[in-house]
Formats: sequence, structure tokens, C-alpha cells
Amino acid sequence: MNAVAGLPLYIMSAAAVVALVLSVVPLKGMLRRLPEVTGVVGILLTLIMTVALWGDRQEAFHGNIRADRLSLLLTWVIMLSALGTLALSWREPAGTGRRGEYTALVLLAATGMMLVVTSGDLIVLFLGIELLSVSLYVLCAIEAWRERSLEAGLKYLITGAIGTAVLIYGFALLYGMTGTTSFSGIGERLSEAGPLTSQPLLVAAIALIVVGLGFKASAVPFHMWTPDVYEGAPTPITAFMATGTKVAAIGAFLLVFTGATQGAEPDWRVLIGSIAAITMVVGNVGALLQTSITRMLAYSGIAQAGYLLIGVAVGTLKGAEALLYYLIAYLVMTMAAFAVVVIREREVEDGDSISSFTGYGRRHPWVGLVMTIAMLSLAGFPPLSGFIGKFLLFGAAVDADMTWLAIVGAVASAVSVVYYLRVAVVMWSPVPDAARPEKVLRVPGAVAGVAITCGVAVVGLAIWASPVLDLCRGAAETLLAP
Amino acid sequence: MPWVSLLILVPLAAALALVFVPQEDRRRARLVALSGAGLTLVISIVILVMFDRSSGVMQMTDHLDWISSVGLAWDVGVDGISIWLVLLSTVIFSLGIIAACHRLPERGSAFLSLLLLSEVGLLGLFTSGDLVLFYVFWEFMLVPFAFLIWMWGGSERKRAGFTFVVYTMVGSLIMLVTIVSTAILARDATGQFTFQIQDLRGVPFSSTASTLLFAGFVLAFAIKLPLWPFHGWLPMAYTQAPIVVAGLLAALMSKAGVYGLMRVGVPLFPEGAKNLMIPIAILALIGIVYGSLLAWRAATMRLLVGYSSLAHLGFIVLGIMVFDPMGAQGSVLQMINHGIVVAAAFAIVMVLARGSGTEDIDRLGGLAKGAPRMAVAFLIVTMAALAIPGSNAFVGEFFILAGVFRQYAWMAVIAMLGVIFAAVYMLRMYQTIMNGPLRGAREGGREVELTRADAIVLVPMLALMFWIAIWPASLVGGSSRSVDRAIAPAQIAAGRPPAQIAAQVIPNPPPSHLPLPGDEPSGQAAPGAQP
Repeated sequence: MNAVAGLPLYIMSAAAVVALVLSVVPLKGMLRRLPEVTGVVGILLTLIMTVALWGDRQEAFHGNIRADRLSLLLTWVIMLSALGTLALSWREPAGTGRRGEYTALVLLAATGMMLVVTSGDLIVLFLGIELLSVSLYVLCAIEAWRERSLEAGLKYLITGAIGTAVLIYGFALLYGMTGTTSFSGIGERLSEAGPLTSQPLLVAAIALIVVGLGFKASAVPFHMWTPDVYEGAPTPITAFMATGTKVAAIGAFLLVFTGATQGAEPDWRVLIGSIAAITMVVGNVGALLQTSITRMLAYSGIAQAGYLLIGVAVGTLKGAEALLYYLIAYLVMTMAAFAVVVIREREVEDGDSISSFTGYGRRHPWVGLVMTIAMLSLAGFPPLSGFIGKFLLFGAAVDADMTWLAIVGAVASAVSVVYYLRVAVVMWSPVPDAARPEKVLRVPGAVAGVAITCGVAVVGLAIWASPVLDLCRGAAETLLAP
Repeated sequence: MPWVSLLILVPLAAALALVFVPQEDRRRARLVALSGAGLTLVISIVILVMFDRSSGVMQMTDHLDWISSVGLAWDVGVDGISIWLVLLSTVIFSLGIIAACHRLPERGSAFLSLLLLSEVGLLGLFTSGDLVLFYVFWEFMLVPFAFLIWMWGGSERKRAGFTFVVYTMVGSLIMLVTIVSTAILARDATGQFTFQIQDLRGVPFSSTASTLLFAGFVLAFAIKLPLWPFHGWLPMAYTQAPIVVAGLLAALMSKAGVYGLMRVGVPLFPEGAKNLMIPIAILALIGIVYGSLLAWRAATMRLLVGYSSLAHLGFIVLGIMVFDPMGAQGSVLQMINHGIVVAAAFAIVMVLARGSGTEDIDRLGGLAKGAPRMAVAFLIVTMAALAIPGSNAFVGEFFILAGVFRQYAWMAVIAMLGVIFAAVYMLRMYQTIMNGPLRGAREGGREVELTRADAIVLVPMLALMFWIAIWPASLVGGSSRSVDRAIAPAQIAAGRPPAQIAAQVIPNPPPSHLPLPGDEPSGQAAPGAQP
């Protein structure tokens, strides 16, 4: 048995356990930061490990865990998201006095996400989803003294539990249909047995899986929890959910649909396509009326899930490639936006409302610039990376004869311009004279680092899109390889 | 030297350099902006000198792969149409930046930086030879213009900016989908996947596909122009924008739509252009009449100039859409004329509004007495705007009307109304404001007299008007080959007599370059279909 492929998982789990143990050890002075440092070291080691593993597919545990280009690329994205989360909460971790638990839970959630994208089997995938969900339920509610935070945790728990229940039901039906839980086995069964496709049982399985994963990816109509949870949860955790969970859920979509059930494509193509279309429309229209920036970003995240699902719906190599590129772009754009929100929240009580950003760019031009770039990129303005991603996704849709999907996406993006640019405009508009004097804090280094790195990455990913796309294509090819 | 790339990068560099200039340091901001715009003007003149007038294709092209796997590339160059629009942009932007520097608003370096960014967008648009790059610059241009309206506009600036952005985005995102569809349908037809405008010429799309693709592009162009009935954003944007920005919108951004029609729409989709010729021509005619009527009753000088430009753009679109070499040539000439005249008109409005404190036409009167130099300049611009024989605009409108008349006499008859109305509304404005009893002036009109700084902005424009009026052949000679080449496919599609068709059309793929069985349909642009 080749266990090397599982090394990133071991490292992350070990880091989580160490951080958890450290939380019961009284740490003083410099050592106070030990849990976070453990987390950062664990993440960095994992990143190095994934680079070392890069290459042809390796398997561990009888193919239950794979390390191929796709899983490694997605692991990278997830690790960067986790690293960003730890950096965003560096100065004031959401659970003050619970640094160890906080870090351990973030690491565990990241391990769960990693498990999802490295899984080669339905059971492992489900394990990963449970691990990430349970950790996030707790993380959402970790500021237990805030009613909002508790509420967020509870809402997420209830909807999340329904989602996973539906998901496992779908997996069970799929297993009943094919007699195996491994992705490659399912793929073989579906491609050799033509009559299996379009059978009611398979269609039901697919529908249930779409629903279950749709909850995690916050696709419409399974998105209702998203704005409330995003608003209530501590902001770094919201950033983590918006990026990491989304990557894991979309990765699961890719593995199950474009990968394993490729043979049943006609059965899910229109279904996922319609969900993508509704998601884009509802997400973008819903975001129009929001006054709270985290709620707006929640709706924006829903809409972005819709764009991402285009890449799944087309079911082609091109779609998967475009999807992977857009995931990376989405990570940096969203992280940049949340970093700015975190910076602002430290200074004012209502840092959550869009109006609290009035004139902020005039005081901190760099912060304003990062937010403006993030918003322009999310809205898909060229030549930023968000544009390239959308361009590739729409291109994949047209190429796969789903032009209607590209048109819905284009119109939805036109709507999105309004709310994204509103934030950018507010950032630079004059401060009203009657504004209360407020404390001006130094921008914490770690958060500023995340903001600026992500802002630069939004531009850099566009200029050097070619090498990134080569990586994505390599990853997408392993998905469709037997 | 990659002159055309430099043309785009120099203002970009200046705009980025302005980010590092503190807002209080207005002197340095002026210096950077003026030298950036000035250098760009010099580069555009160098390009004009090096330009080969005997060729109709893109020349001085710079090509650099951007994302080679999906066929995206940095590909810029100039042809006989774009060279004049490039020059128009660099000249008008230089003058606009001089005007802006003279009365720099609060947060001046940001204002100048955004002006330069919008120049980057326009210059990139006029020179791109790749459809995606065309789209990139098309959108790129929108952001700085929108922010200029939002940050320095009038009291209703937020609504004006959003109306402007949403209108434009709806069109342009549909254009994005159309661009992708074009490339993919062309790949099915020719076997090569490319976004190069050059290589997409002559692709045999089916009639329906061609119509749909053409419509997808035209929607975006029509909104940007704007063509009636897509002009909903125009009154708000023009009245709320700072006056320099409004001038640039009218003089240059409106040309983006026309240029797209001439460079992408008509040459790439001749069948579709033929099918939609009459509907679009009718919209243009309605625009001429409707815009003129609105201009007639406009309350403020700014709106009058804005609506008159709606009418004039109707003329320009009409000249292209009848597929007549003379009409299309007139449209190109008129694009330049209109750009200069509208910019000059806005400059006049700027001085009048600044001196008198109002833009309402009815609140001013009899200013000529105290401001003789202003009166002269205003009169020249008025005469040029109503295309009096001997003015620069007369040549262009004559070409257009002659071309339209040759194809569809009834259209020319309706379009003539626009010429008559132009005299009515322009003279109404001039007479009310400059002649008659003195009104709305505290110092007998002396406050609206041209200062030296105003003259620096206005005199070059007046000089250019005279130049074109006296010697239009200098423009026509350089552009005619490109114009002939642009409309030739549509002429053939519309079944025009061969005597009118001045350029050869090469089928794509050429018979020598049909794909062989087993050829990969994707991949890099194969050798171009053009000789």
C-alpha cells in the first residue's frame, strides 16, 4: 500500500491535534501564539508536500485517497484559504482565550475540505463533508456570547444536517444502482451499462446528490441559510466558508458529476445547468438590496457559485479547466474583499454596513484600491482575473451548445455590476460632515498582508493566466482520465 | 519600435504614476498628466507619419500571446479608419486635460489619472485587432468614465453613473457571449479557432447565425452610440458629468460604437448586416429626427449639444448601413468632424457656464457685445455644427447624403430634415445667448469672454475644423482603402452592382487552406486568411 498520497492529510490532522492539545496547556508570553504558529507550520508543510507529490496519480487506502493533479491543485487552494483565515484572525481570533480550539477547528475543517477533494470514493467524500461541516458549525458559534453568532451556528447546523442527510441518501441510491462506492468503479459501470442511464433510480440519485451538494455550495434554492450565517459568523470564518467550503463543494461536484457519473451526463446536464442559471439570477438580484456588506458578499457568493456551476453543467474538459481557474480567481477576489471588511470592523461598530465604508478609500488609499480591484474583478471587468474566468466559463458553455446558459450568465453579471460598483463608489465618496469622530487604528500587518497579496494576485492571475491555465488543464485532464 | 503598443502604454504609465502623486501636489499632478497626454499625442503623430496610405489592412501591428491556449492575444495595429480616430482621441484628450488642469477639481491627481485611463481604453479600442482585446478595452473604458461621473459629477451623479453603467453593461456582456459564439461558429466553418478580426473576415456563417451575431454586437454598439431608442442613459450622464468628461463622452466615446460597427459588425457579418440594414437605418433616421426635436426644445446648452449629437450619430450610422463607399467614407469623415465640433461646443458651453453661472439657454442673452472673441468662436462652432457649406461638417454630411441618396432616396429625404433642424436648434442657441437684449450677465458679457487659457483649448480645434474644411482629401485619401475594404463584403451580400464595389473580398477559408480531415479544430491561429 502506498500511503504517501495521504501525507498531506496526516500532516494537517497532526497539526490540528497538536493545536487542540496546546489549548489545554496554559501558555504565557511569546508562547501564547503557539497554536496559531502550529497551524501555519502545518499548512506550509502541507503546501510543500503537495508540491512534492505533484505528478502522476498516486493512490492510498485502495484508491480511497488519491493524489493527482486535480486533488493537489484544489488542496493548494484550500490551504491558501485556511492560511488566509488564520492571518485574518491573527490579531483578534474570534474566540479570545480559545486560540487553541479556534485554530484546531480551522485546521480540522481544512482537513475535511481536503478529504473531499482527495477522495476517490463516495464514503470518503461524505466523511470529508461531515468533518468540514461539523467543524464549521462550531466555528460559526464560537463567539457564543453574541446572539448572532449562536444563531448562525444553529441555522447552519440545521440546514447543513438536512443537506448531508439528503446527500447520503443520494449516495446510497447511487451505490444501490452500481454496486460500488468508488468513483472509478461507478464510472466504469455507467459507461459499460448503457441501459442504466435515464433510469428513475439513477435520476433520483443524481437529483438527491445535487441537492445535498447544492446546500454546501449554497446554490439556489438551497441557499437560504447563507446570508444569515455569513452575517452572524465571525468575519474570518465567513471568509473561510465563502472560499474553502465553496472550493470543496464545487470540487465534489466535479468529482461526482464531470468525473464519476460522466456516463450519465444527459441526466444531469440540464438539471445542473438550470440550477446554475437560477443561482446566478437569484444571487445577483438578492445582492442588490443588501445594506450589510457580509450579506451582500453572501449573495455575491451565491451568484458566484452559479457561475462556477456552469463549469460543472457543461461536463467537458474545457468546463472543468475554466471552473478551476475561476475557483482560484474567486479565492483571491473574495479573500481580498473580506480582508478589507475585517480591517474596517475593528474600527467601527457597524463595520458590517456598506455605508460605514463611506470615504474609507480616501483615508486608506491602499485599502480602498484593494477593495475596488476586488469588486471590479468580481463584477467581471476586464482585464482582471474575474473577467478571464467568466470569459472561459461562458466560452465553455457556448462550446458545449449551452449558449442560453452563457446569456443568462451575461445578463446576471450586468446586474451584479450595480452592487459591486456601489461598494467601490462608496469607498471613494466624500465623508459626510456630520460623521462621528472615530478611532483610527493601525491596520494589522497580517490582515493588510492578506489584502495586498490577494489584490496583487487578482491582477497577476490575469496577466500570467497562461501558466495558471496550463496547471488547470493538467488538473482537469486527470478528472476525465480513467 | 512598437509604436502602437507604446501609444496605449504611455498614458497607462502616466495614469499609474499619478497614483503616487499626493492629492495636494497639484503642480506635479498637472505636469505628469500633461506630459503623459502630450507624449501620447507625439506618438500618434509619429504613427501617422509612418502610416502607409496605400494599404487598407491593419499595419504596424504588435502581436504578443496572452493566453495562447484559448487564443487570446495582445494584438494592436492601425488601419485607415482607426488612425484618424486615434489622432482624434489623442488631440481631444490633450486639450481636455489642458482644460482640466486649468480648473483642476478637488482631488486633482485622481481626476487626471482617471482621464488618462479612459484615454487608454479608447486608444486600445481603436487599435485592437483581436475581438477579446476589443472587448477588454470596451469595458476598460467604462470604469474610469463611470468613476469620473460618480466622484465629480452633479447632484444626481450616483443615479446618472449607475444608469450609464447598467445600460452599457447589458449590451457589452451580450457582446462578450457573441464574441465567444463567433469564434466557435467560425471554428466550425473554417477549422481554425481565433479571435483575430483579420482571420474572421469572410467566414461563411449561415444567414441566421450571421444575423444573430450581428445583432449581438449591434446591441452593444447601439447603446454606446447611442442609437435611438437606446439613449436612455444619455441625458442623465451628459448633464451630471463634469463638463470636460461630458465633452469626452460625446466627442470620443460615442465613436466607439460607430467604430465597432465599421470594424467588426459590417465586415464580419455581411449577411446579418444586410438582413438588419433597413431596421437599423430606420432607427438611425428616427434618431436624427427625434434627437433634433429634443435639441430644439432642450432647456440647457449641455442637453442641446448632447441631443444634437444623438442626431449627428444617426447620420453617421446611416452612412455606414447603406453600404455605399461614398456614404461610409462620409461617415468616417463625419466621425472626426463630429468629434472636433462637439468637443469645441462643450468647450464653449464650459466657458459660458463658468462665466455666467448658468447653463440655461433662456436665462442668457446678448452676451456678444461684451465678449466679441467668444462670439466669433461660438459662431464658427455653430456654423460647423449645422454643416453650412464650406464648413468641415458639410463635406462629411454631403458625402453621407450623396451615398444614401444613391441607394435609398427616401432615406436621404428624411435625413435632410436633420440638416434643416440642425440650423434651427443651433441658431436658436446662438441667437438667444449671444444676441438680443442683455440677460443673465452682471458685467455686460465680459465674464464669458475667452481667456488665454480657454483659447489654448479652443484655437487648435477651430484650426482643425478649418483644415478639414479646406482640405478634406487629406483624411479621405488615407482612409478610403480601409473603408472600401470594410464594406465590400456587405455590398456583395446586398447585391450591389460591381461598379460600386471597390475592394476585393477573399473567401475564408481560402480554397488553398481548407482543413484536412484529422486536423485539430483548436489551437493557434493558422496562417491568416488574408494575403
